[in-house]
Amino acid sequence: MAESLLNRIAGGDARAVSECIEHFSGLVWSLARRLTRTRADAEDAVQEIFTDIWRSAARFDPAQGSEKVFVMTIARRRLIDRLRRASNEPRMESVEVLDQLPWSDATSRAEVCVEAERAAQAVARLRPDQQQVLNLGILHGLTHSEIAARTGMPLGTVKTYMRRGLIQVREWLEVSAGDVTEGAQP
Amino acid sequence: MTPDRLMDLLVKRASEGVTAQEQAEIDRLSASHKSAGLESFERAAAALTLAGIDEEPMPANVRARLDKTAAEFVASGELAKVGRDGASGASSLSDELAVRRERKQERTPFRASRLAWFAAAASLLIAIAGWWPRLRDGLQPPQVVETPPKVEDPAPKVEPTLAEQRELLLASTQGLVQGNWAPPGDPATNPVAGDIVWDPKTQQGYVRFTGLKSNDPTQYQYQLWIFDAEQDERYPIDGGVFDIPTREGEVIVKFDPAIGVKSPVMFAVTAEKPGGVVVSSREQIVALAKVAAG
Repeated sequence: MAESLLNRIAGGDARAVSECIEHFSGLVWSLARRLTRTRADAEDAVQEIFTDIWRSAARFDPAQGSEKVFVMTIARRRLIDRLRRASNEPRMESVEVLDQLPWSDATSRAEVCVEAERAAQAVARLRPDQQQVLNLGILHGLTHSEIAARTGMPLGTVKTYMRRGLIQVREWLEVSAGDVTEGAQP
Repeated sequence: MTPDRLMDLLVKRASEGVTAQEQAEIDRLSASHKSAGLESFERAAAALTLAGIDEEPMPANVRARLDKTAAEFVASGELAKVGRDGASGASSLSDELAVRRERKQERTPFRASRLAWFAAAASLLIAIAGWWPRLRDGLQPPQVVETPPKVEDPAPKVEPTLAEQRELLLASTQGLVQGNWAPPGDPATNPVAGDIVWDPKTQQGYVRFTGLKSNDPTQYQYQLWIFDAEQDERYPIDGGVFDIPTREGEVIVKFDPAIGVKSPVMFAVTAEKPGGVVVSSREQIVALAKVAAG
């Protein structure tokens, strides 16, 4: 089995740095466009994200998930951080875009990875209003309060739906949460 | 505090981010509960993101800028530190966040250099207008030399010289990219000559010079640049710096750029400050070699 790109970066392989861009640039760019206010923001963000990815390469553990998931985890952290710092600026997306539920056809995407398929399967088991909360929060970067304001749901309900949804996805991904146990059942 | 509170915080971090105080609380709670899987909710969110996002290609200008960031990352020595830092700690998110906070200050000069780079790039836009077309017109036509494999390979030597390595490459590899050096101006004042051979498969090559003036490395160094048809021509790939010693005759330099070269169309050598530059002002171009992708 070929050594992973991230392991090669951790080993100091300069070519793997370039290959990492080649491999993940589309994904990172697409997410950055979605979770930033402007194109200029997205351009700045991808520079920071890839630098974070390279610096964190030694932390990649294949037992915890795929490289794609690791890269997207790093990308989301950076983008959420930037979103919160710019939280007073207006959003660019329309309500119609935000209300779409994009997971229904996830399994038909050509490049989808196993974890994405499982995540889509997990979401499919949730009620539409729960799916909507995940959509607005995870894919569009809205805060819980923003989701509540947009949907009319009580803030506590939004938090509960988010928590249950992520727990369900996590369970489907068979990701061990160690001894961090859930108190309330979904 | 209970694990339930930790759970709330981890979900919040995965979905909308946490404040510094909340992160400190996560650190404290996770330490007292010896928790594992602290990033499992973030991975779940990442998997959901992968399931719901339509991938679109990164624009060429953004990609070119990212390639420069990568080159800086490698050249600055940060890449060499990745494995060391990873092995010595940074195994948890809180560790990483702490590292990230520390690095914000380290990054300042890096950003400063990028600002300088953008300033240079702005002037480059002006310079390229007069530079690039002249190169297209004035150089020898491109040639790709398909070198047939030699029936009898030379016997391997323990430590072959650069000249021998170059000869071995020429004799044993097909699809090499080759070109000849020419001065950008009057050959009478700058009689540089020589050639370049590039192996697209191994991403290594050799440049050979005669007539290139010897340099004092404390004053200036020569820097090799590679123009790639698949990259923005304003930002050629850095091939590294080299020196010409004080002696007559041929000089061979092996180069191995950090950034992948896909379709090289031209190589250039500039004189730069010691250590080289991220983006050349192109004020002192000393040699050019037009080639074609192999």
